[in-house]
Amino acid sequence: MNSIIEVKNFTKSYGNFIAVNNISFEVEEGTIFAFLGPNGAGKSTTINTLCTIFEKTSGNLFIDGKDVTTHKSEVRSTIGVVFQDSTLDAKMTIDENLRMHCVFYNVPKKEVEERIQFVLKLVDLLGERKKLVGALSGGMKRRVEIARGLIHYPKVLFLDEPTTGLDPQTRAHIWEYIIKLQKERNITIFLTTHYMEEAEICNKIAIIDGGIIVAHDTPYALKKEFTKDKAYITTKNESELERLLVQYDLKYVKKEDFYKIEAENIDRLLQVLSLCKEDIRNIEIKKGTFNDVFLEITGKKIREEA
Amino acid sequence: MSTVFTLWKRGLKAFIRNRTGLIFSLIFPFFFVYVFGAIFKSDYIQNPIAYMLSGVIITTVFESSLNLASSTVDDMVSGFMKEILVSPVRRIAVAMGQLLAATTVATLQGILILVIGLFIGIRFTTWTTPLFILIAMVSVGLVFSGVGLFLATKVRSGQTFQIVKTAVTMPLTFISGAYIPLSMLPDTLRYIAYINPMTYATAFFRMIVLEKTDLTTAELVKEGLAIDINGFIVTPFMSFVIIVLIGLVFLLLSTYSFIKTDFSRLNRSSSDASALWG
Repeated sequence: MNSIIEVKNFTKSYGNFIAVNNISFEVEEGTIFAFLGPNGAGKSTTINTLCTIFEKTSGNLFIDGKDVTTHKSEVRSTIGVVFQDSTLDAKMTIDENLRMHCVFYNVPKKEVEERIQFVLKLVDLLGERKKLVGALSGGMKRRVEIARGLIHYPKVLFLDEPTTGLDPQTRAHIWEYIIKLQKERNITIFLTTHYMEEAEICNKIAIIDGGIIVAHDTPYALKKEFTKDKAYITTKNESELERLLVQYDLKYVKKEDFYKIEAENIDRLLQVLSLCKEDIRNIEIKKGTFNDVFLEITGKKIREEA
Repeated sequence: MSTVFTLWKRGLKAFIRNRTGLIFSLIFPFFFVYVFGAIFKSDYIQNPIAYMLSGVIITTVFESSLNLASSTVDDMVSGFMKEILVSPVRRIAVAMGQLLAATTVATLQGILILVIGLFIGIRFTTWTTPLFILIAMVSVGLVFSGVGLFLATKVRSGQTFQIVKTAVTMPLTFISGAYIPLSMLPDTLRYIAYINPMTYATAFFRMIVLEKTDLTTAELVKEGLAIDINGFIVTPFMSFVIIVLIGLVFLLLSTYSFIKTDFSRLNRSSSDASALWG
């Protein structure tokens, strides 16, 4: 696999404030890459620099082998961008917005109609193409933006929080489109998101905090490394359970009426359970979630922007 | 080139679709013609309706083209400018498209008023007059779209901009001789009028519309078509040259400024730049 995005020692500072501090990462072609981090961590700075809007302070950033600082125009033709806030022209129709985009990106005239039909079919908006964008709902606008971001057949699609502020149903749909895209057109997708469960769908995840990348791996590996399954047990004989837990060297926390036990070593936990099974009233095993990963790494809860 | 044409078409479509705006842009000028025509009825003006109308037409062209500042700021606030700026189009093409669209819209508005004016008092005796009128309107339109675009690139907040715009356009239109003859202004205001580009645009345009091209300088001064600055007479021709020069300066400035501006700094709502570009 070759890397379509390469970031080497990228630093961006505003005066004395360092927003992004010497980060390096690569994104393989045809994958979905998620960039996570609390607000102000440097996500947007990185995405905006990759999209040629911000100037870097130092380091090298390449998209498809082209330097984003010196070859802006080539990079811009290679990428599609869907920003968090709408960048559609509300006074024009969906069709007109797409046609303008085709002109800006030098799409050959005879292909325009075919491509409009293709992208609108992809996001289920073929029937609405003559509608004014201003009259559409938030979810529909986002779909138009995704369609527009694709119409010039970019190699990399940047999605800055593509599902923020949308209802669960629309969010699920948007994800359907994203996955369909990656499969059908082998587009590399670079996205930022606040929703942990969405990050899990991606191939690779980088977590950025305080301007540095604190974790970078597959969702599975991150979960394995940073979360532990937990057993929640309620028992009639608390002193006996405590004695066994100490004996089998299992870490636990006593809460009001239950014990929260780290279930990393299933063998030992099962042994403890078999020894006191008459006393146990209730048992529940909880899998580690991606939220735990995030909390573990950054010490902060990811929250939605106001 | 196709980008310029696309943005031009977009500007025209927006103008045609905005029916309410179109109707009001026609009501106001005639309201002014009626009010000021009645107030400043004087003996030395032979054709007061045509005199007022010529001022109103050029003021409309001026205000409409200056509106490019508002529509550009709107594009930044709505985010559409960001869509253009991350695309591979060259910024100079964007600037040109916007300037041409604004000039065309401004000229169209001028023509609409002129056409109505033909029924209520404006008379042409030669076919060259409409041609000159058109050239003058396009020139004034270009000049002040340039000024408008320049202003837009300096804007950091959409809300303050509206206030600044009104504060700039109101005095420029009222102290230009378009509505109120310069001779009726108090001295201080008259000196301000001398540095107002609209004063020259108005004098020049009025001379064309009223077909006074063959008058002597003294007669032009008497009719308020040439500007007498303490004995130095600015003829309509010189006025035109002044306007063209100001226009060239602002067209270059605005295009340069538009290419160089870091639009990421615009304050879209109330918070910092990252709120706009994040």
